[in-house]
Amino acid sequence: MKLQIKDLYVSIEGNMILKGLNLIVNGGETHAIMGPNGTGKSTLAQICMGHPSYRIESGDILLDDESIIEKTVDERSRMGIFLAMQNPIEVPGVTNFDFVKAAVQTRMKKDEHLRIGRFILKFEKASQDLKMGQGLAHRFLNQGFSGGEKKRNEILQMKMLNPKIAFLDEIDSGLDVDALKLVGENVTELKSPDLGLVLITHYQRLLDYITPDFVHIMINGKIVMTGKDELIKKIDQEGYDWVKKELGIEDEEVKPYSLGTCPSKH
Amino acid sequence: MDILKHLKDESNLIIFTDDFISNNTEIKIKNNHLLFDKGNEFFVFLDNYTQKDDFIFEIKNKVKIYLLTSQSKRADYSIRFDLKEASELTLFTDFHAKTKTSSKHRLIINLAKKAKLDIMNALVFNGKIDFDLEVNLLEEKAEVSIEQLNVGADGVQHMVNQRVNHLAKSTTSKINNWLISQENAKLNYHVTGFIAKGQELSKCHQNNKGIMLSDNSEISVEPKLLIDEYDVEASHGAAIGQMDELQLYYLKSRGMTESEAKSLIINGYTLPFISLINNEKIEKILKRQVSRVIRRNS
Repeated sequence: MKLQIKDLYVSIEGNMILKGLNLIVNGGETHAIMGPNGTGKSTLAQICMGHPSYRIESGDILLDDESIIEKTVDERSRMGIFLAMQNPIEVPGVTNFDFVKAAVQTRMKKDEHLRIGRFILKFEKASQDLKMGQGLAHRFLNQGFSGGEKKRNEILQMKMLNPKIAFLDEIDSGLDVDALKLVGENVTELKSPDLGLVLITHYQRLLDYITPDFVHIMINGKIVMTGKDELIKKIDQEGYDWVKKELGIEDEEVKPYSLGTCPSKH
Repeated sequence: MDILKHLKDESNLIIFTDDFISNNTEIKIKNNHLLFDKGNEFFVFLDNYTQKDDFIFEIKNKVKIYLLTSQSKRADYSIRFDLKEASELTLFTDFHAKTKTSSKHRLIINLAKKAKLDIMNALVFNGKIDFDLEVNLLEEKAEVSIEQLNVGADGVQHMVNQRVNHLAKSTTSKINNWLISQENAKLNYHVTGFIAKGQELSKCHQNNKGIMLSDNSEISVEPKLLIDEYDVEASHGAAIGQMDELQLYYLKSRGMTESEAKSLIINGYTLPFISLINNEKIEKILKRQVSRVIRRNS
């Protein structure tokens, strides 16, 4: 599996967020994307997933050399793209179990039936691995979950769905040290030649547990520098000013934008 | 759906048809007057019944009644429930039409001292219906809880009037409406809580929630509180909107199609109502009715 992002320009509400971004993620590789706030890291993950609020102005996203920019969100998911969201959405009334079961069933062939016993065992194992506690199956999706539980629940879904390309968008935010270690270990366990990982993070601490093969620095909507471990350490110690200085990048002013409002209150 | 097929094995079943009345319970029936003087669970099924006399259900004990209809022609029902002192009624109603039809149903429920009513109305009616529910809290410490799930699609018109009259001190009412409208359906609600002068320490609350699943569907709710006494507690509200786009996106990002995602969210929306029913057969009947309407129109 190969994800290829070619000279991608993406806007929202007239603001250009991604400005000529290029990236290739192969199966088996782990890429870390770091960068200052508002530089387009989450936009990259959301546009690959197909978030309807963003607009591709030019460029392409290819999965195994097939363009996916005309594909719907669900089609992309079934093709193997997964996004562990920064702010997982609460869905009252829908149990975690029903949600994950429905998601797994979308990946089955028409004449295939879910083997429920096997599914339950796998769900319980994933739940235990992530220390989600008893009763997770019957809790409503993300409702009343702590910040850490929401993030661990995203990884649980990833374990159940076996994606080919997974974006983990600030999966470390809201996690305490123990939970971070747990998530790191679980994600590392999932590493395989069939999985390309893209970690979006601000901090070195996540990368202590999930070792990246490539580290990219994103500023002003594009990747401006790529390296390895040494970049992480330098960013952790010195921030991003040295990158801007070295490459002669000036800060840009980005107008505030909205990802839409929630039409119904719960 | 043949509801009778699901109910036929029930031991406490009463069926009204134009040709016969079947009653395998100990309930006495005379001119549509039913006396529930023993505590138990009962199923009452009105099968295209042309009502001559108003129904009167007299409740003298702790009783649970499942009142179901499945119409294929016009049949109007007027039913009065009289809850005697300290009696308790848990009432589930499902006014359902198999084919498009037009009907007018009216429930009047009178509660005596310390009587308690929990009512769950399911309205998945195919066609045009005028549905009136009037609850009179006649004596002290009577209390009522009303939960209503209304699902409309395919051009149906549901006109609903709900009114709770607090006519005694220390009476309590609570109304929760769950409304779903799709494909040219119009759900029109007038929800009124009235506390008469002198009926202090009464509590009157109502909450209305609605989801419109298509641009051409309509939900209108007029929540009203008519309060003629100072020392009371009352609240009302209505929140109506379209399905949350972020929830849809989240579900789709896990592989579900638009219609699968909507269906799951709707199931979640109706779950709090359905879980109140506490009877597997009836829950199954209602789930099928709802999913049939939603699936047909998605």
